[in-house]
Amino acid sequence: MPRPGFVLDVDERTPPLLVHQGESFRMQKFPLGTRVVYPPDPLPGIKDVSAAIQHALLHPVGDSKPLPELLTPGMKLTIAIDDISLPLPPMVTPDIRQRILEHVIELAARNGVEDVELIVATALHRRMTSAEIERMVGERVFRSFFPKQLYNFDAEDPDALTSFGMTDHGEDVEISKRAAESDLIVYVNINLVAMDGGHKSVAIGLASYKSLKHHHNVDTMLHSKSYMDPREGRSAINDSTVRMGRKLAADGVKVFQIETTLNSDTFPKNLGFLNKREWEWSAYDQGLMMAARKGNEIAPPRLRREFYRRIEAPYKLTGINAGEVEAVHERTLTNLHRQQLVEVQGQSDVLIMGLPYLGPYNVNSILNPILVHCLGLGYLFNMYRNKPLVREGGVVILYHPVPWEFSQIHHPSYIDFFEEVLAETTDPKQIEALFEEKYATDPWYRHLYRTGNAYHGVHPFYMWYWGAHGREHAGDVIFVGGESKTVARLGYRRASSLRDAIEMAKDTVGSSPSMTYFHAPPVMIADVH
Amino acid sequence: MAGLREELKAMAEGFRWGRRPMVPKSAEPFAPEREDRMFPTDWARTEAGTAVRQVILHTMIGPMLRNEVTIRIEGRDRLSNVRGPMIFYSNHTSHLDATIIMTSLPDRWQSKTAVGAARDYFFDVWWRQAFTALVYGGFPIDRAKGGKGAVTQARELLDEGWSLVVFPEGARSSDGHAQRFRHGTARLCIDAGVGAVPIAIRGAYQAWPKGTNWPKAGRPPVSVRFGSPIVPEEGETHQSFSARMTQGVAVLLDEDRSTWWEAMHRAERDETPAIAGPQGPDWMRRWEGSRPVPRRAPGRTWK
Amino acid sequence: MALAIELFRSAPRYLTARAVGDRAPGLIAGPLAPLRLSTRPDPEPQHDGWVRVKPLLSGVCGSDLATIAGKSSFYFSPLVSMPFVPGHEIVGELLDDAGPDLSSGRRVVISSVLGCATRGMPELCPNCAAGDYGRCDRITLGDLKPGLQTGYCSDTGGGWSRMMLAHRSQLWAVPDEMEDRTAVLIEPLACAIHTALRARVPDGADVLVAGAGTVGLLTLIALGRFANAGRIVVAAKHPRQRAAATMAGATEVVRPEHALKAVRRAERAVKLTPERGMDFLLGGVDVAVECTGSKSALDLCLRTTKAGGRVVVSGIPGAGADLTPLWMRELELVGAYTAGMEDVEGGRRHAFALALELASGLPILDQLVGATYPLEHWREAIDHAMSAGRLGTFKVAFAPQD
Repeated sequence: MPRPGFVLDVDERTPPLLVHQGESFRMQKFPLGTRVVYPPDPLPGIKDVSAAIQHALLHPVGDSKPLPELLTPGMKLTIAIDDISLPLPPMVTPDIRQRILEHVIELAARNGVEDVELIVATALHRRMTSAEIERMVGERVFRSFFPKQLYNFDAEDPDALTSFGMTDHGEDVEISKRAAESDLIVYVNINLVAMDGGHKSVAIGLASYKSLKHHHNVDTMLHSKSYMDPREGRSAINDSTVRMGRKLAADGVKVFQIETTLNSDTFPKNLGFLNKREWEWSAYDQGLMMAARKGNEIAPPRLRREFYRRIEAPYKLTGINAGEVEAVHERTLTNLHRQQLVEVQGQSDVLIMGLPYLGPYNVNSILNPILVHCLGLGYLFNMYRNKPLVREGGVVILYHPVPWEFSQIHHPSYIDFFEEVLAETTDPKQIEALFEEKYATDPWYRHLYRTGNAYHGVHPFYMWYWGAHGREHAGDVIFVGGESKTVARLGYRRASSLRDAIEMAKDTVGSSPSMTYFHAPPVMIADVH
Repeated sequence: MAGLREELKAMAEGFRWGRRPMVPKSAEPFAPEREDRMFPTDWARTEAGTAVRQVILHTMIGPMLRNEVTIRIEGRDRLSNVRGPMIFYSNHTSHLDATIIMTSLPDRWQSKTAVGAARDYFFDVWWRQAFTALVYGGFPIDRAKGGKGAVTQARELLDEGWSLVVFPEGARSSDGHAQRFRHGTARLCIDAGVGAVPIAIRGAYQAWPKGTNWPKAGRPPVSVRFGSPIVPEEGETHQSFSARMTQGVAVLLDEDRSTWWEAMHRAERDETPAIAGPQGPDWMRRWEGSRPVPRRAPGRTWK
Repeated sequence: MALAIELFRSAPRYLTARAVGDRAPGLIAGPLAPLRLSTRPDPEPQHDGWVRVKPLLSGVCGSDLATIAGKSSFYFSPLVSMPFVPGHEIVGELLDDAGPDLSSGRRVVISSVLGCATRGMPELCPNCAAGDYGRCDRITLGDLKPGLQTGYCSDTGGGWSRMMLAHRSQLWAVPDEMEDRTAVLIEPLACAIHTALRARVPDGADVLVAGAGTVGLLTLIALGRFANAGRIVVAAKHPRQRAAATMAGATEVVRPEHALKAVRRAERAVKLTPERGMDFLLGGVDVAVECTGSKSALDLCLRTTKAGGRVVVSGIPGAGADLTPLWMRELELVGAYTAGMEDVEGGRRHAFALALELASGLPILDQLVGATYPLEHWREAIDHAMSAGRLGTFKVAFAPQD
């Protein structure tokens, strides 16, 4: 019987608790009275995944026919797939997308569809390598379609985009030409967090910079409280995306949306203790944990990175729905909340979070300082509904070493952003006004995005905006264990221990603040009342 | 190095090494049921476990038993044509009882028999659980709650073809005479449609009574007598079956004390001495109960 | 058949626990404890006036832990009859009628001393006649086997079981509105009241209470109600204890290592440092009450009491304290054991009656029982109780019916 998430009150009987800090973790003894938010136990997975996929495709929800009826000879079919930013960590093969694709393509083949193209919906993310694509779609699909009919989306190819004009709010809607001109787009999604899926899949995943500009900006971010809460009026970015998606639908773009939700079995058996409540660790778990810590310390950095890179999540499917976008997404969110929602009463003065080694934008890569900011003040901070876990003006304490390290291959524009832009100012609005245009249109970045494996030149800006709401809300941000120069460049403070951080926080929240430790990963959403 | 010592100290204190683990107070409502965390016993009834048990019983327990007591087994022929799982039950006066029964069972029964043991005594710490499960194929019986909880596991074992050894008195007698049989065993036989084989053990109380730590010296004689299975009749109540079970053991004890012929006749006339022993003061009951069992020397071949 | 925890005689365990105990406390709660869970036949009342009681909650007391850990004095050996079921802090339900206002089903608390009345003595000894039941001289004679209290006698059973026996004279009815959690503390509260009265604190005098576990805290509360003290300084080891002592009305609360200095400051006494041993004061508090059972706390009390003052020992004292100050400063060393009839304004009343009255108006008592355990988990219970202070718990209790 999976137990719900709950809020622990640290007392004398509580052992030290595990806190992630990048490619490492520590056992931290929290002061008495600290609240700790724990995620629910992983839900059991669907036993017969094939049957579940088949059922979803044949029994769609919302205003939609079953998929076989939508597949006719002579039609133009485009299948769009979520890219490598999902799921996190990458799941044990076969990836659920592979399994879904095999069903969809089987149906397409049987119904005589010949013109099929599969697009990895990267938007302005980096192109996936062929090995990464093969791992995601499986050998059969890869060999049948790569490279002519299975490729990464190119948002900077002017001949491959179609514009649909503007929404009633003046937002440009421009997506992949191939997709726009298809008779049907089948989208294969993994809804890892509440922000994913719905209209976002096509309207963002296959969109160009011109389109994305309208919601990937500071103002929209400041009005998304939070963007993990897509209820109407809470998340400006979601509202904008919905408008765009509805415009596409109104203008004749047909989408058959397939959405999946996974349970929270985030870590493999040899790291099983990362998924268990600390006081329930057996002697074996404690031994594993200490071995992992020691291993981390003595391993050379390259070996350690490789160890973490190879972590695969044994995720299980908890739900799959297909059909009309909005109807499907409503069910997806219900499933997602079943696994991830935790009730929390009240905010506190201080929010403590341990940042893990992985975010959506550094799979097989390096978590550079800007991505650290995005992971902490962007993603983890916004894992709430109603109100943030920390009160306005409170202090956010994050654990991460924040090394001055960048990947030249994947994040070239980030390096310049860090060295040029942040050295000038850290204010998101100023950064947007002064620098965004320059980076977004730079020809060198464009070249690397289109032909290499680099994130788009404008991407570091989005990463910075992603934490804008967090920055504005918090009175102070302190990194425990971070490199001083790097942290200072980001505009934050650092301390060497939790005790020192709390001492430093005194100026902002007084000498005995209420504290909450958000014990994620695994991913969860705090429903704060 | 100092860092490592500090770390180990913090871990040892925080995780209470060498002590019992604690659940933080606010996490208590969400702690999993302790029963789930109990050491299960099914591993001992796998093929490997059974094989190891046979070896232990034959090479260690058996010889140890015969070293401590002189044992006489009668009545095993009554089991030769019996099929299917049975519930073996006997009077209970000593820690020796389960061992005596397990080592006296014919091999084909022994390899598929599980002994029911008191949960509060035999299953409280992990090593006692392991020992009981391995050497006796033991499964826990919660005797304080009237034995209802154990019924499910007992049923499952019977359904899987395992015979059981149970002591319907629930606990060892303190004066050598049998106490009232509790109805759980009768109910189980009726519900599962399984027969009960009565066994009478005489001399175990004399050899190792309740309250001492080891059998008495001198290889005191103990006799074990198997009876024919008692099968529940259509629609029989558990009270009636329980009475028949009690009578089964009573007749065997009578047979052991006198002869088969005399015991059969007394049974016909309803004159079998009650196993509950004489009425009277405690000392007298204990006096009767501890009467030495005569040693039967091997029959003299030549008169 | 009733489940019970039995304490049995085991010389090897006693010796090993005594030798090893402090260094490996986990073993005390494990293989070294001379305790076993057993299913005994239901106890039957053998004499008039005895009834059966079903314990609902039964506390674990410092003296129980000392016995289990092999630390108790051999003095007690003739005063107990083994094997016995421990547990003398009990709130239970009557299974038989025991008199007017004590009908079957009523909740009761038990005054655990086994004096003349319970033993069916034809004549009361002078102490029982005077109402000082704790001082009974006949606790090894009469209808029952030797046993100073219920919880140390093999005939009566004890609180750590599903069924026990009690004599009518031991029973006190619990008001319906009082929670079990509060009622289980009535016995220690009655003892604390007796201690506070034995301390005979002069009006306005200064008091030191050493220890703020359950005993110390209840003694502090009793002093607040039944004594007219000036300043009350409490020395307590753990933060939660210190917080509770402050809430319960202590004038000043300090850590044990700072207690002597705190008393010195408050009493403006002279502090002297011997070449070996604890510092001491010339001058100090008028009355010191030792509530921890440890040698160092008794030393502290002896060395911080002014000449002619009084040191009250409220729990089994730890062995080895230096009694030189007792002689040198002409101190009165007073023992306070259980509870009986007490002289208060308004006459002579039983400490249990006073405790029941006092407890009804004290919300803090609801918080003291920090954890309850079923009998089967006695190892966890003992382990928790042995480090209760450090774990932020005051009282650990068994809930035998679970």
